[in-house]
Amino acid sequence: MRAPQTIKQEFLKKWILGLQLCDFAKQNMSMLERKKAIKLSADIAIASTRNGMTCWSRALVAKASRDYGDKVLVERMLASESEKLKKVSSIGLIAPNKWVIIRSKKILRKSRRARRVRSSVPLSVLAKSIAKKMVKKRTQVLKSLVPGGEFMDDISLIEETLDYIISLRAQVDVMQTLAKATELLNGK
Amino acid sequence: MSSRRSRQSSGVPRITDDQIIELVSKLRQLLPEIRDRRSDKVSASKVLQETCNYIRSLHREVDDLSERLSQLLATIDADSPEAAIIRSLIM
Repeated sequence: MRAPQTIKQEFLKKWILGLQLCDFAKQNMSMLERKKAIKLSADIAIASTRNGMTCWSRALVAKASRDYGDKVLVERMLASESEKLKKVSSIGLIAPNKWVIIRSKKILRKSRRARRVRSSVPLSVLAKSIAKKMVKKRTQVLKSLVPGGEFMDDISLIEETLDYIISLRAQVDVMQTLAKATELLNGK
Repeated sequence: MSSRRSRQSSGVPRITDDQIIELVSKLRQLLPEIRDRRSDKVSASKVLQETCNYIRSLHREVDDLSERLSQLLATIDADSPEAAIIRSLIM
């Protein structure tokens, strides 16, 4: 596992480069525009610490590229990153054969739902099936929270979640430190 | 587009219970709340719920910090030497 300090250092370096590209001193941005630019550079920076090795980081870059209005700025931020990152922002994330698997899973799920539940089921079995449903439900929520989650199978989802949480924590820690430092320097 | 015949799910390996237990224990180590409770008493469903809550709170923190930094950059006193440090760093 990567050391948290290494992640933070890499993130800080890349984030600062991204912030410099935003050119805050010259641009006349609104508070909201500045906030979005700061968040964009932070997301691209934390994703790029993975070098395209995780699904969530690739999905995050693709999402940031899609959602942010100033495509030129995004392009410049990605220009300093590896070729892998640049590719995923323009091409889709999913290989064609994965689409077929996802579609056939959906068909299977629909046919399962159509079956009627028998009434004389023992309580222990019912409890187990309810527990399973809860896990299923919560897994779906998790998939919606992790970037690219909807394309992952259950095991990948948990592995990606572990990595994603560690990266998010590093991102938050560094952003907090910079905010505090800026406040102190501002003479608050 | 693609064929409507559904494919066998044999391509996707069945997850073993041991694998789940191992991964879930790793998740628990990351989550601030569950970590302090006694081990082996937490259900997968609870772990997933705590995980989702934690990720959501981290997302919110990133958003709040971005907003805070945006405000700070706006109010940097232009002439102070401190401002010069910040400016050279991130602007």
